[in-house]
Amino acid sequence: MRNIKSPISNLKYIIILLGLIMSAWLLPALYELVSPRTDKTPFVVYSCLDSTFIKMEVQDKQVHYIDFRGQEFTKSEADSLLPLFAFRQLVAEGRLPDSLYGVALTPKLIQQNSFHFKTSPKQLNKPAVGLYTMLESASGRVDLTLPSDVFRLTDDGLEFIDCETNTINKAKSLSFLRELTKHGFTFPVQLIWGNGTTRKDYDNGFLLTDSQNRLFQLKMVKGTPFVRKIYDPLDMSSSRHLDISSFIQLFTLEPANRQLIGLVVSDDYRLFAVRSDGTITQIGANSQQLTANCQLIYDPQSMQITITGDLFHWTITEYTATDSRYYAVDAKTFEQVACAIIPDPERPLSQRIERIILPIRLRFTSWRTQLIAPNINDD
Amino acid sequence: MLRAIFYKEWLKLRLFWCLALVVHIGLIAYLLLALRSTLLASGIVETWATMIGRDVLMVNALMYLPLITGVCIALCQWLPEMQVKRIRLTLHLPIDYTMSIGAMLFCSLICLCGLFALDAAVLAIVEQIWLPRELVWRTFLTCLPWFIGGLLGYSVTSWCLLEPQWKIRCVDFLIGAPIVALCFLTAQPACYISMWPWLVLAILATMCLPFYSIYRFKLGKQ
Repeated sequence: MRNIKSPISNLKYIIILLGLIMSAWLLPALYELVSPRTDKTPFVVYSCLDSTFIKMEVQDKQVHYIDFRGQEFTKSEADSLLPLFAFRQLVAEGRLPDSLYGVALTPKLIQQNSFHFKTSPKQLNKPAVGLYTMLESASGRVDLTLPSDVFRLTDDGLEFIDCETNTINKAKSLSFLRELTKHGFTFPVQLIWGNGTTRKDYDNGFLLTDSQNRLFQLKMVKGTPFVRKIYDPLDMSSSRHLDISSFIQLFTLEPANRQLIGLVVSDDYRLFAVRSDGTITQIGANSQQLTANCQLIYDPQSMQITITGDLFHWTITEYTATDSRYYAVDAKTFEQVACAIIPDPERPLSQRIERIILPIRLRFTSWRTQLIAPNINDD
Repeated sequence: MLRAIFYKEWLKLRLFWCLALVVHIGLIAYLLLALRSTLLASGIVETWATMIGRDVLMVNALMYLPLITGVCIALCQWLPEMQVKRIRLTLHLPIDYTMSIGAMLFCSLICLCGLFALDAAVLAIVEQIWLPRELVWRTFLTCLPWFIGGLLGYSVTSWCLLEPQWKIRCVDFLIGAPIVALCFLTAQPACYISMWPWLVLAILATMCLPFYSIYRFKLGKQ
């Protein structure tokens, strides 16, 4: 019996292989536990008074305010340089300027024109439910309420499902389908984005693209469908033609000043604002070539983006795998007014050692996605 | 001979299987009653909105039950065999040992798959009364890695228990436990859709490993 070489003995190679795979996963995870990564990303805002970016960085448990020219400010000086960002503090101290660039400043005006938007690849890359909530956008009430139905998209239309009975509301589905087709919408839907939450001031409905990559807005006004065609890539005659062949990402927004419907990203990674009048404008176009190599591009699959908007400017921050990019754009025209690209600092020693002693690092979770999948050396 | 092996395994496992059946049905009934209670108390519209908007499916209590069942069924099946080396009797049957051990593993897998299929079917059939098909499918996709975790828990425990040497058993456990843990990396709904081929490969690979432990046992490793 002892001399029999059974094919079963070859199973030891499976054990060895499994052992190696598990080591490639667990050893880097253990190493990370022992030497945790500290990722202190500074908060950056464009100062319209200083005409540069000011970063707020925590060092030695203290917040430091430093502009991109290297000049450091006290907290009080920074508040003065960022009157729209720190207006509450300035109001409390009685230091809020009466006007800025000819615009009379009031806390209400500043608040209405401030908005914040943040998203990351991980937030976008997750399995979609495939059900959407169409809120009533003109109920006449201040508070939004949840509708009694949700809708799903099909290859040739959409179906509203009544929550109480779990059956399809054919009349409502047909009315929305008719309104969409009346505006030239062709199914199936390629992309759709809406904010189904009632925790917002008002509702802009959904931005969606049809089978021919045309961009539409769909919302419900007093129980009836409202459809607006926003952009048609095939309509070359339009004065609004922006040379977009298709869209890769849509975001519906509801900023307090009601100037925007949302943001869209074209397949060549340009970012556009959809204004409330239905026109779209490229954000951060560097038409005056203020700074070389500063064309704003946004890849939703590999960049984290933060937009901090105020009355006069938007500060757009993008974090990529290799650098941090800061853009300031005019809040009205969306033209770029400043830009800075800061390469990431050299990796800390612990990470460099990890790369040498653990050349193959297997992970099943990623900063890019919520999906569990094997990734090799995806740091 | 195989029928006799199946019958012997059924005699060995039936008590535990019936107990597991009661626990599984009990937990599924609890989950469904909890869902019904939430639908009635919070309102159907609000519950649907929470499930759609906040990725809540209310089945998280089921997460580790398939794993516990898989490990326990392996313990019930192999501990009596290994305690006084009773497995030798099986190995001396006039049938190839891969066939007899394969039949024993198959018997337990059928028991486990039956339980898990029952869980999934009862959940889906009852949920589709209250929920749209997208949420029912999402619930199934969320539970599926937990069921696979149960199968992996069974195969890894069997592999470790059948291993005759303690030090190798520890190594087997160190390799096997993370493989099982792969099925429990997140409770986020439907996040394993890219992992199905890898998890199927993991099941196939780990189901082969008890044969290697028995092979070593036959070689007389102590």
